[in-house]
Amino acid sequence: MKLRAALMGAVAVLGIAPAAFAERGTDGEVKLTFPQAVSIMNPYLSGGTKDIYASSMVLEPLAGLDPNGVLIPKLVTEIPTLENGGISEDRTSITWKLLPDLKWSDGTPVTADDAVFTWQYCTHPEGGCSQATKYEGVASVEAVDPQTIKVTFNGPKANPYTAFVSALSPILQKKQFEACLGAAAPTCTDANNMPIGTGPFKVTGFTVNDTVTLAANENYRDPAKPAFATAVIKGGGDAEGSARAVMETGEFDYAWNTQIPPDTQASMLAAGKGQFVVAFGTLVERLETNTTDPDPALPEGERSTAKHPHPILSDIRVRTALSKAIDRSILVEVGYGAGGKPTCNVIPGPEGWASDNDGCIAQDMEGAKALLDEAGWKDSDGDGVRDKDGKKLKLLYQTTVNPIRQDFQALIKDWWTELGVEVELKAIDPGVFFGGDPGSPDTFQKFYADIEMYANNSESPDPESYLGQYQCKNAPTPETQWQGENINRFCNPEYDALYATMATTTDLAARQEIAKKLNDMVTKDSMIVIPLVHRGTLSAHSNTLGGVQINAWDSEMWNVADWFRVK
Amino acid sequence: MLDAGPAPLVQVRDLKMHFPIYAGIFRRHVGDVKAVDGVSFQILPGQTLGLVGESGCGKSTVGRAMLRLYEPTAGQVIIDGDDVASLPPEALRKKRPTMQMVFQDPQASLNPRMTLAEIVSEPLDEHTDWSRAQKLERVYELMDQVGLNRRFVNRFPHEFSGGQRQRIGIARALALKPRFIVCDEPIAALDVSIQAQVVNLLEDLQEKLGLTYLFISHDLSMVRHLAQRVAVMYLGRIAELSPSKDLYARPLHPYAEALLSAVNEPDPELAARRKRIILKGDVPSPANPPKGCNFCTRCPKVMDICKTVKPDLAEVEPGRMVACHLYTSAAGSTGAPEANERNQQGETR
Amino acid sequence: MLTFTLRRLLLAIPTLLVISLVIFLLVDLAPGSPMAEIPLTVPPDVRQKMIEALGADQPVFVRYFLWLRQFFWVEPASLIDGWFGTTLAEGEQRILSWQSRSPVFTIIGQRLPQTLTVIGTAYLVGILIAVPIGIYSAYRQYSWFDQAGTLFAMIGFSVPTFFSGTLLIIVFAVWLGWFPTKYDTQLVVNDWASFVKQIKQMAMPVMTLGLANAAAISRYMRSSMLDNMGMDYVRTARAKGMSERTVVLKHVLRNSLIPVVTVIALGIPAIFGGAIITENLFGVNGIGAALIGAIHANDLPMVQTLAFIFAVLIVLFNLIADILYGLLDPRIRYD
Repeated sequence: MKLRAALMGAVAVLGIAPAAFAERGTDGEVKLTFPQAVSIMNPYLSGGTKDIYASSMVLEPLAGLDPNGVLIPKLVTEIPTLENGGISEDRTSITWKLLPDLKWSDGTPVTADDAVFTWQYCTHPEGGCSQATKYEGVASVEAVDPQTIKVTFNGPKANPYTAFVSALSPILQKKQFEACLGAAAPTCTDANNMPIGTGPFKVTGFTVNDTVTLAANENYRDPAKPAFATAVIKGGGDAEGSARAVMETGEFDYAWNTQIPPDTQASMLAAGKGQFVVAFGTLVERLETNTTDPDPALPEGERSTAKHPHPILSDIRVRTALSKAIDRSILVEVGYGAGGKPTCNVIPGPEGWASDNDGCIAQDMEGAKALLDEAGWKDSDGDGVRDKDGKKLKLLYQTTVNPIRQDFQALIKDWWTELGVEVELKAIDPGVFFGGDPGSPDTFQKFYADIEMYANNSESPDPESYLGQYQCKNAPTPETQWQGENINRFCNPEYDALYATMATTTDLAARQEIAKKLNDMVTKDSMIVIPLVHRGTLSAHSNTLGGVQINAWDSEMWNVADWFRVK
Repeated sequence: MLDAGPAPLVQVRDLKMHFPIYAGIFRRHVGDVKAVDGVSFQILPGQTLGLVGESGCGKSTVGRAMLRLYEPTAGQVIIDGDDVASLPPEALRKKRPTMQMVFQDPQASLNPRMTLAEIVSEPLDEHTDWSRAQKLERVYELMDQVGLNRRFVNRFPHEFSGGQRQRIGIARALALKPRFIVCDEPIAALDVSIQAQVVNLLEDLQEKLGLTYLFISHDLSMVRHLAQRVAVMYLGRIAELSPSKDLYARPLHPYAEALLSAVNEPDPELAARRKRIILKGDVPSPANPPKGCNFCTRCPKVMDICKTVKPDLAEVEPGRMVACHLYTSAAGSTGAPEANERNQQGETR
Repeated sequence: MLTFTLRRLLLAIPTLLVISLVIFLLVDLAPGSPMAEIPLTVPPDVRQKMIEALGADQPVFVRYFLWLRQFFWVEPASLIDGWFGTTLAEGEQRILSWQSRSPVFTIIGQRLPQTLTVIGTAYLVGILIAVPIGIYSAYRQYSWFDQAGTLFAMIGFSVPTFFSGTLLIIVFAVWLGWFPTKYDTQLVVNDWASFVKQIKQMAMPVMTLGLANAAAISRYMRSSMLDNMGMDYVRTARAKGMSERTVVLKHVLRNSLIPVVTVIALGIPAIFGGAIITENLFGVNGIGAALIGAIHANDLPMVQTLAFIFAVLIVLFNLIADILYGLLDPRIRYD
């Protein structure tokens, strides 16, 4: 815990450090390293965070999010609201005003046409745009005049800040991508690798899955920024190697995603060359319980479907007992150190959206045992495993192949064994587990197990779409080719009804209340989801790199224009 | 023959060749294979000494140790005035042209990646400063001498027949005009029809070039044909060293007797009269030879003394040397010995 | 020899076609999806669209024949276009990586240089270390040098590169600060300073791989030397009065090199294949890193193309090894 305090302190100091008043390009080169190399600089053709973060140094959205999840204008004069008239009274349209004299890095002016084109690009049916959800519900995007962009929705939209907001949805230059619509999108290699943007940097060189070289954009809107003349993003290796290059050898200034064991974090910190910073978003490592029966004896097509409720886990007392038996603080200590904290929520942040639900933090083994006794699960034959009506309390617990997850599996198995539950562990290759191949029995959607563990998050601070996962209709079934996000096959009409009201609620406070209630319905009220750890993204930056403000809601490079060399 | 006459070209005195045995985790020296254990003889210029014995008796080792292809453990090998066994490396190399060897396996003894010309002229490169043309001329000359067609000069060894390869081996040995050649079973690997050709070639060359041979063989009749004197070896020691005709007519040492009884006798009458002596048992291990006479474990005429005292090679008749208690010890003539009592303990360490 | 070579080359064509089909089916049947690395926040219908855009939803044989056409016609044509400015491949789709949407051959072209420099140098260094060690170990069998060589080979064999590499990083980069831990693929060598930089950044990956390579080759060298050392022709050479140097280096070494050279030739395709772990560890980002990245991302066109190129190289170098054997050993003739 001392480490975390130190980190917090370091973050705080940096936060209040005065920004240097440097001229553009006077601080030389800033070197970044990503454990996963950048594949493409066009976020619309990639879903990978590495690609989105790298491209955020070049491509910009109209508005971004700051470290508190608050909207900030990027290419626009101000954030449109109901109050300033940017959002129509009926909430069916939003109008953005571009900054005057905004230029692409090639010197041509940025116009509303570029935004219109970007919408067309991503919504083209053959384009396979990975950020299509950002434009969901958008009826049209028009250029009212060269400076004004009007986004019209199909109906009233509670959260209109989706299209053109955050690094996931930046503006592309129409001129460059005009020939790349639809099926032609992937063939525009040059444009995809070296997009022209408005950001503080422009791409000067790109080698796939290896290195991106960038130089300060001479047409960037703030003439004093960026402080660095050039930037390099080197990819490849592993988290430890990336962290070492910043924290121990000092070869790099910034390393994204340096998820390494807590003891290694401490020893690297001791080298005194850099800091770890943690971005806490909404990523939660959780146990998902299966409400349906995964019994292999069931005919294919009925296994793990709502036709057969789970013989053990359908009882809330069993689910609660399983949660109570877990000591989440130990999990954090073992797995994440400063990069995680115990949580009982599916929506752990940002402030205002998170429910004050912490009843699960303290381990309660006795309470858990009592609950199982009450549920009728008793160890009648004295073999250490509880049973009921001749059936053993036995669970299959699966997750992906990952050292931390295997540690978690082992710890949780110990606790559950103490509880009198027989646990069988299974670890699946992540590519298979998350691959979604309907033919494979091992995908997380098929859920041919009783319990599974993975992490998921809401991509925006507003969790509406994220909470939509738990609607009854989203359960993966053979009919939907096992696609669907309601992994637990959770089905509660109350939940669905409350969720439906969220879409029409516009008041922020009211939305937050609904979100908290929905969160509680899947966690503490039903224990369908057993949250374990609120995970942050651990990154490292050198002591000589100033201006870093970690951000969980947008790209970590959201303010790269403000980065400078500490002298 | 011992006094007067010309001085011997080759003199071997008490030559010993022991190969160490290492064993155990730390590869400690635990004993020796006494392949050659005190061998002495001499050869007069222009003569041939036959060296016979069964496989593993150490006869090839004698040949190799004499030419310092092995480092002898002890003893002297004086060839043409120099003690080869103790020459420093550079002097030894200079000495090599004088003494050469013809090997048993003509296939294996020729470098497979060198042509005939290269093989034969390589020693010339090393020991002369002749021009290429001179060397080639010498190669042709040698090829003529050993009866190889000059056209074959650029062929590789695998392109020749066994007999031709042995001719190459001989040509190679002759390249530096040696005085002494060790012929180490030069015909053992050849067809019978070829054997005679090669032996005749060796004889012709000896006559023309005045060579001195040590002819190692287990083919007793071939040795009889070639050698003036013959040494019979058993388990690293010489059992008998006699002029060829005496030995073949009347072997003295019981081992020589047994060995010769196995030779095919061309005269059917003689063959009918002769009785073959079959030796019982196996040859003892040279790592652990019997304590007394090496042959005592198999000797049909073994006596008590044989099991405790090693007999020395001594002249028992003019020109004939035998290492046997039958001829040297006073007890030699006493009673019929208990034969075939195994005595394998050897020296205990 | 020429007939032999031609016959072998002709035979290689059906072999390679079968190999390509087998690879394709294996890669295709392997569980996993090109969407595995896409975050869970991307909804299923969008994923489906993305898969369709990749063409990954087509039947396997359609994709196989498309790939064959692209590999054997479109790619060579576009290469010719690149050289002569022709338009043979105009409008044709090249083999595109699913992960990066870049042409696979462009990626290979970008990556081959560092793989060949680093892995190639490591191989060379390995050979240069191994051959003398092997020779001397055999010449002085059971000496302390030979024992040390055996120990060295054992370590080289048994210590995995991720361990030896990390050890080098900790010693030479973290403690001593001599070498960088991340290879800069963009470095252009045009003067002395940049050359020194290149040497420095190559030092650790080359050492790591060189040791592993040297271990294997030194063993081959030693045993081959020992085989030949006991041959009669070596005794012949000594009897000829050749110097020890000539005996060992000319007679023994030359004959011992025959099998070693073929082993070395057979190892060359592995240079092109890169070294997955070492490349990853030092950020060399060559072919090996590309392959493992593509496997993780289920990037079928990339994996398929790389695997097939390796197959071609392996077939080719097997042939080269056979031809070399024939050239080096006069006893072998292919007719």
